[in-house]
Amino acid sequence: MSTARNIKSDRGLTIRMFTTGLLLVLLYGAVVGILIAVGISYVVVLVIAAALLFCQYWFSDKIALFGMGGHIVTPEQAPELHGVIDRLCALADMKKPRVAVADTDVPNAFATGRSPNNAVVCATAGLMRRLDEPELEAVLAHELSHVAHRDVAVMTIASFLGVVAGLVTRIMFWTGMMGGFGGNNRGGGNNNQGGDNAAMVEMMVLLVSVAVYAISFLLTRALSRYRELAADRSGALLTGQPSVLASALVKVTGEMSRIPTRDLRSAETFNAFYFTPALSSNNKNGGSGLSISSLFSTHPSLQTRLDQLAKIEAELGRPA
Amino acid sequence: MGKRLDALMGRTKPIQANLDALFALPSAAITLQSAAGLTASGRAGVCYKPPTGQSFDDMQAEVMKLLAMEGGGTLSSSEDSYGYHWVVVENADAQALVTQVHLVNSSLSDAGWGPQLLCSVFGIGPAPEDADPADGPPAIIIPSTEYLVYLFKRGTFYPFVPDGKEHRSTDKEFKLKSLLANDLVIEQDLDRWFPLWDLPVG
Repeated sequence: MSTARNIKSDRGLTIRMFTTGLLLVLLYGAVVGILIAVGISYVVVLVIAAALLFCQYWFSDKIALFGMGGHIVTPEQAPELHGVIDRLCALADMKKPRVAVADTDVPNAFATGRSPNNAVVCATAGLMRRLDEPELEAVLAHELSHVAHRDVAVMTIASFLGVVAGLVTRIMFWTGMMGGFGGNNRGGGNNNQGGDNAAMVEMMVLLVSVAVYAISFLLTRALSRYRELAADRSGALLTGQPSVLASALVKVTGEMSRIPTRDLRSAETFNAFYFTPALSSNNKNGGSGLSISSLFSTHPSLQTRLDQLAKIEAELGRPA
Repeated sequence: MGKRLDALMGRTKPIQANLDALFALPSAAITLQSAAGLTASGRAGVCYKPPTGQSFDDMQAEVMKLLAMEGGGTLSSSEDSYGYHWVVVENADAQALVTQVHLVNSSLSDAGWGPQLLCSVFGIGPAPEDADPADGPPAIIIPSTEYLVYLFKRGTFYPFVPDGKEHRSTDKEFKLKSLLANDLVIEQDLDRWFPLWDLPVG
């Protein structure tokens, strides 16, 4: 017996996510292969990267809350917020995450935490002030979808490559500057040929690291955009009200343009966590899909998100 | 591993609720009466989140018609402050009440709207002084003081006893839990016992 009715899964979105993930994995393989071929102490690199990444992943909830000035609230302190989340979790049959509120007037929401068992969903005071209850519920449904999809874990793993490539790049710079690229400080000065080869190899590794870092950055951003669309989709299906989510999106995005630049700049660093990217006016995301800024964006453009929601609305309204 | 694979591939198996659990209620009512002097209040409600679209509205109208034909009693619907829809049934016949609640749940679920169902609530109140448990549940409608909430997605029950405006009587809830542990599948995860303030099930 179908319980999700005749909502077809979005093939295209799934394929794009899968392909992006696959490309990232292939790049992983390429980098590790190069490191091994060159004989760099890749163990050191990987250990550092793994340790950093692990900390980032394990403490993601504390890091995010600290960074955004959020604090956990009890049901007595925020009864309506808890009430909405209670019901959404019962509807979604998921464990209720901790609930937090951030005391900023920037309207936004985020979900964080290393697993659905250790998750936090946070709404800003600015969001609760500006949205009415159905819209707030739609935004929270989107955030709960992130928790259910384990997006923190997924994005952390995906960004691992970027971290490694970035580290290798930096280590190469340091050793390059210390050792000199002409092989000046190599032992056995009469073997200049060997020295030049080593330098060439170092340069190659450096260039490859930079290229890999750039590519992985773009791919990770693309993956982030697709995960956002997936969360939009899940959230809309959970509440069964895609148009309410669309209206919340428009409201929050519209409000962003009215917020003083100073507040937005401080929020921008954490864009990947947010419901809508906190973009100040001289960094506005263009409407169509192919501009440079859209490639760098952690979130799809407003129009893309609204288009998807309109499609879901049409599907829900169709007779059985 | 299975869960991580689900996350990568997208969860494909939705939870199958077990509506038949509802039919354990009449025997639970007997236990309640003999052990605690409580009985079904004759009032119950089904709560769901209405999705957008004409297709659901049409189906909802049909379900209400079916309900009216099914077992008598009084029907009403309302929307609560969270935007969830309630279908409330009042029926002195406890068995018919359970059947009607089951009907709403199964109709919605068969039409593919299972994901929209939140819970069903059954009212409980003090049994009249002269009621004899041997006679079966008294056919009356009384104000509810305590509630049994059936979580559609989990197929489990939990007790809910509001006490004043936004306060719960947790000790009474635990008492009900131990009383009914043998008759009903009680929800083990206490986090899932969410409060339902302003219940339209009087």
